[in-house]
Amino acid sequence: MSGFLDGIRCGDCECNVDWGERRNTIASVAAGVLFFTGWWIIIDAAVKYPDEGQFHHAYHTCGVIATLAFLMINAVSNGQVRGDSYSEGCLGQTGARVWLFIGFMLAFGSLIASMWILFGGFVVPKKPVYPGIAIFFQNAFIFFGGLVFKFGRTEDLWQ
Amino acid sequence: MAGIKALVGLSFSGAIGLTFLLLSCALEDYQKYWPLFVLIFYVLSPIPIFIARRVSDDTDASSSACRELAYFLTTGIVVSAFGLPIVLAHTTIIKWGACGLVLTGNAVIFLTILGFFIVFGGGDDFSWEQW
Repeated sequence: MSGFLDGIRCGDCECNVDWGERRNTIASVAAGVLFFTGWWIIIDAAVKYPDEGQFHHAYHTCGVIATLAFLMINAVSNGQVRGDSYSEGCLGQTGARVWLFIGFMLAFGSLIASMWILFGGFVVPKKPVYPGIAIFFQNAFIFFGGLVFKFGRTEDLWQ
Repeated sequence: MAGIKALVGLSFSGAIGLTFLLLSCALEDYQKYWPLFVLIFYVLSPIPIFIARRVSDDTDASSSACRELAYFLTTGIVVSAFGLPIVLAHTTIIKWGACGLVLTGNAVIFLTILGFFIVFGGGDDFSWEQW
């Protein structure tokens, strides 16, 4: 039994992954976890409170807009906005900027609206507060998932 | 041949995972077969990566937008497989014990699928002709 810890080494294990190469993969997986966790939170709340009086169905709009914003933000590459991509696209750099601007506005708007719904729809009228918290967390998760998917990846790896 | 050993090991762990899943459905205390719907997620989970590998031309780029979208969607399917039993248990359709068994089975099965990709799909010479 003597010396059976001698084989342990620190720092130079064989499984040294090149994290620079894997950066896009990790960012994609993290964004996926955030985005779909958000949607499952709201599914849980909707199943738990199916009653219109406790959880008005119109409040789902917020998450839908956040998802739309997620798609809009990530449909335009950073290179297109900076104007250093090969092709102009059909609207050019200005179109990409306007598109991205609208996308981010929808994203921030849905996040703010979810906070409003949480307080205006659930906390102040003294209803069961769990659906409001679920809406807030859904929008926060989708928002941060979008940010991770947009800015966590680098486009240098595509070339 | 190393491929055979890996294949046998992976099929063993896949069987273990399915056993956990069926235990969560069929044990005396539980007797609810709703968790079987995660089988759909097991089937769907490798599909985006298969499609991305087919579509993206294998240049020397270490990543591509298509492949990243595939990872995103695969993560979504995996998260859904974990989310479904939790929601079912939260609404008291299944019991929390069954939920725990499903989650264990999920982890084993998805590690098995990941193992398949590492063992058989790691090389650049991956193609369907190998099968």
